[in-house]
Amino acid sequence: MTGEGLAGPDTTTGDDSPFWAGAREGRLEFQHCASCGFVRWPAAGVCPECLSRDFAWRPVEPVGTVWSWVVYHRAYSAALRERVPYDVALVELDCGVRLLTRLTGFAGGDDPVGTRVVARFEELGEHGRVPVFAPAEEGTDR
Amino acid sequence: MGTGSTDVAGAVRGRSAVVAVGNTAQGTVPGIPADELAVEALRITLAEAGIDKSAVDGLITCKSYGGFGIDTEIGRLAGLNPAYSATLDYGTCNFSLHLACAVIDAGLASTVAIVYGTDQRSSGNRFGHALGRQDEASVYGFLNVAGPAAMAFRRHQHLYGTTEADLGRIAVSQRRYAEDNPLAIFREPLTLEDYLAQPYLVEPLRRSDLCMISDGGACLVVARADRARDLTETPVHVLGIAQQTGLRDRQNADQWMRGWIEQVASRIYPAAGIARDDVDALYIQDPTSVWVLQMLEMYGFVEPGGVGEAFATGQVGHGGRLPLNTNGGQLSEAYMWGFLHLCEAVRQLRGEAGGRQLEGLRTAQYCSTFGFMKAASTILGTELS
Repeated sequence: MTGEGLAGPDTTTGDDSPFWAGAREGRLEFQHCASCGFVRWPAAGVCPECLSRDFAWRPVEPVGTVWSWVVYHRAYSAALRERVPYDVALVELDCGVRLLTRLTGFAGGDDPVGTRVVARFEELGEHGRVPVFAPAEEGTDR
Repeated sequence: MGTGSTDVAGAVRGRSAVVAVGNTAQGTVPGIPADELAVEALRITLAEAGIDKSAVDGLITCKSYGGFGIDTEIGRLAGLNPAYSATLDYGTCNFSLHLACAVIDAGLASTVAIVYGTDQRSSGNRFGHALGRQDEASVYGFLNVAGPAAMAFRRHQHLYGTTEADLGRIAVSQRRYAEDNPLAIFREPLTLEDYLAQPYLVEPLRRSDLCMISDGGACLVVARADRARDLTETPVHVLGIAQQTGLRDRQNADQWMRGWIEQVASRIYPAAGIARDDVDALYIQDPTSVWVLQMLEMYGFVEPGGVGEAFATGQVGHGGRLPLNTNGGQLSEAYMWGFLHLCEAVRQLRGEAGGRQLEGLRTAQYCSTFGFMKAASTILGTELS
């Protein structure tokens, strides 16, 4: 479902569907290696640390730190024309995963880089509910 | 990060040389398929150098947009049965040149043509896809290399206080060179004020921070040292080569800062047997200006965060002590996936750069990257001593 309506090649693979299914239910889930515990993303059939093929999808603490963010003013595919301008951020989750996402709840003029954030789940066009990240309030960080 | 160590000092120095470079028209070249543009570049290069096609016993091609550029197809079109041929899945020309050096050193061929051709402008490539493996990229609209480059620059701003005007000096300097380059697509003057007045494409990047998709072909001929002397009076020696990968991609910390490029920087000068200060002209492959910023810093030509000052004070760039991308680079000349940077370096070293010829060059360095996966550098020189 994740590539529907986009002009570019579909970079999603079937094996990441638990991530999107979890997000629709308000959970942030990734593959955990059954052998060494490494949390991996993008989804893959093999652990890049220990090369084991055994894994389980499990939720993680939905908290992290904004590494950087940008604003697209140009639509690089027809499906994005209605969306520009829109932001994209990279969040470094405490579990080690680096996740592309969008930001919410920041005031204009804020520089989100380095800000502690927590996952929310919001509708994003035809994709349904997806993870977005908002500034972590005191006490929601952990 | 698991990059390991590599002892390569001096392994290729002087063992092969570039004996010819050439290119087709650049920009919009309608009606000629990608593979025929590659062959046209080969034809022009051999003709201008007076080298007979029969001298070519090696062919290294580069896959281009749409799946073109395969050695078996280029060889058929070009009427070649070389002793050795191969196709690389990526460009920038550094990787092709390094493979040619290795092939020559291994005795598999003595005279290797490296070719690239693309019709991606005429055939409508908009690079509207995500770079690398990024499953969620299409959902969030993280398309085109402009996205990661803008992320990296914003991060750089956060770490060092770099301004958009600092970054803009890269495009402005390259445009100034392009004004003197008849091959360049963008030759109209560009001031820093012009740059800052441009709207954002992917904020904080503007149009002039990103290269334009173009059609065209380019070719280099590399020969074993003894063969090189037979083929030209002005061989340009390969003094040193170095590479490093970051194939773990998104699992590398600070992935878009590409810190592993520093491994190439640590290897290239010992490999070439020269010091960084001995580099007379610098070429950095530039799908985006941010890549120039990153490599200027990681190779140690400017201090982290000091790029704006380095241009403003004449340390690097047009009119400065260290010429940089004297063809205008991909930002202003044409997007030949880095091949034209090496063509320009060779022309400058041979005194064949026309109205933009620099004086007294003995060495040139070319640095390039394949996205977030690989980095390479070559140092060329007119002398071996």
